Amino acid sequence: MIAIYKRDLKGFFTGMMGYVLLAFFLAVGGLYFTVMNLMSGYPDLSYTLYNNLFVLLVLVPLLTMRSFAEERRARTDQLLLTSPVPLWRIVLGKYLAVLSVFGMAVLVFALYPLIMSRGGAVSYRQSYAALLAFFLLGAACIAIGVFLSSLNENQIVAAVCSFFVLLLAYLMPSIQTLFTVGSALAMGVFLVLAALGAAYAGWHSRSWGLGLGVFTVCCAAILVLFWLRSAALTSAFSSLLGALCLFSPFEKFVGGLFSLSAVVYYLSVTALFLFFTCQTLEKRRWN
Amino acid sequence: MIEVQHLTKRYGSHLAVDDLSFFVQQGVIYGLLGPNGAGKSTTMNILTGYISATSGTVTIDGHDVLEEPGEARACIGYLPEQPPLYPDMTVEEYLRFAAELKGVRRAERTSQVEKAMARTGLESVGRRLIRNLSKGYKQRVGLAGALMGSPKVIILDEPTVGLDPAQMIEIRALIRDLGRTHTVILSSHILSEVQAVCDQVLIIAHGRLVAMGTPNELAGRLEGHQTLTATAQGEAACVLAAAAGVEGLTDVTLTGEKDGEVSFTANAPAGSDLRGALSAALADAGCPVLALGTAAVSLEDVFLQLVEESAPEAAAKQAAPEPPAEAPEDSARPEPEDRSSEEENAE
Repeated sequence: MIAIYKRDLKGFFTGMMGYVLLAFFLAVGGLYFTVMNLMSGYPDLSYTLYNNLFVLLVLVPLLTMRSFAEERRARTDQLLLTSPVPLWRIVLGKYLAVLSVFGMAVLVFALYPLIMSRGGAVSYRQSYAALLAFFLLGAACIAIGVFLSSLNENQIVAAVCSFFVLLLAYLMPSIQTLFTVGSALAMGVFLVLAALGAAYAGWHSRSWGLGLGVFTVCCAAILVLFWLRSAALTSAFSSLLGALCLFSPFEKFVGGLFSLSAVVYYLSVTALFLFFTCQTLEKRRWN
Repeated sequence: MIEVQHLTKRYGSHLAVDDLSFFVQQGVIYGLLGPNGAGKSTTMNILTGYISATSGTVTIDGHDVLEEPGEARACIGYLPEQPPLYPDMTVEEYLRFAAELKGVRRAERTSQVEKAMARTGLESVGRRLIRNLSKGYKQRVGLAGALMGSPKVIILDEPTVGLDPAQMIEIRALIRDLGRTHTVILSSHILSEVQAVCDQVLIIAHGRLVAMGTPNELAGRLEGHQTLTATAQGEAACVLAAAAGVEGLTDVTLTGEKDGEVSFTANAPAGSDLRGALSAALADAGCPVLALGTAAVSLEDVFLQLVEESAPEAAAKQAAPEPPAEAPEDSARPEPEDRSSEEENAE
């Protein structure tokens, strides 16, 4: 795992990729810091970080696009996957390498409150809590990017996929407000989801019976819920969309709160997508 | 050392490896021989754990590749068809990385890397980027990478493909050298290579093992005849008549006549040596012999014969479980013929 971590981290800095991305990230971050904290005199770093979130949409896909897609294209995955290293350690090694590059930029951001303190009182606690949340949000985004990279052989396609997935997550709060209408629509969406899930189950088990069974049970459950408590469906739908709002839990930190649920949310998203990555690679063995 | 039992790999409806079973002994160089698409690479990928078999088991030094993947993979050094190299690393860096992946202890890494580099003749390029190396050197770096961690078995997939003749000879010598200390399995579709390098040959066609044995044993399997080639001075009719008069010689065929020199081939029964008799007969007829030789049965003949023999069988077996899949092909077949005849008519 350490070997893979070292190789990937070094790989970022043998070419221009790591330097260019870090420079871009630090330049945008530094610009917001200068304008908001130094010139306008906000005593809190969290606003600056909040305004910086959109940079992740561009930065993360470019950081993660290579990780598995490039290995697969160059066939070097044959070296990794036939080595005695367990799969989860390969995934973790590659993930931590990308995270470290991101972490370097976050470390530079950690200097900002110290710089701000020269101009007056700074809430260190608030600033560093926000920075921690920012790091965890980035970690979750990177896990998603690594997962999408493991699905693709072409790194450009991987980058574009990651960008659109992150963009969707970024815009999800506005999308959520579009769909506050009626429980019938919610029911329709859940039925489509049930159909997709059933088709997936049927396809993988190669049994139409199982697929139809899953679909029937899900449909029955959704219809019963619709007749008895249609409000439950609407709220379930809204919370489903809410779970996809990757960027909104961060907002709690902007107000100066430390939100444990946000931390848990980001850590679980990270773990979930790293698990998916392992599953994707494992599944490829069996194709 | 390696035990493969009833290995089957299915890609959708295509059967890449079909009920393959064999046993590999320690310290022997094995050659997997077969035409392109015979399932050699698939078999090797399964042995190394890169892909999983649809059914069947592979045991390496007592470790099942599915149940104890770590232990099984630690016994194997693998050089895939395309060497898995990172172009942005130097040769030394790459070998250190490969050693670390294989779980070589820090203290032994340097000595292992140096040993592998010396063995594969890489000392002079240690500090160069892999990107800038020639194909032959890249192949050697891949081979050195496979040696990391001193695995008991080394698996090489088409190790000499794309190399120039001098590099091929070097790599073959290297493989022979490795065979002294390791069990080696290599795949190839080049017969002379397998004949020159391997102690044991496994011939694979259509995903199935069609023959196994030493190159000589396999050659001995080919029943039939031996071919004599000869050149003599004189009239063609006279030479051929003299040759046909030798007892046991059949199918005397003229292959060339130039400046009073007549070349011909003739078949003799396997195991007999009719060169002396032929020479004497020609001398009696007043036609001095200029050249005379026998063409030994090569592995190539065995190979072609076995592959041809297995083809209809395998095709029938593949088609049997899924008759509907065959039907559209049959109906599609006349179509291109019709089209081509139409085109001909149009022209």
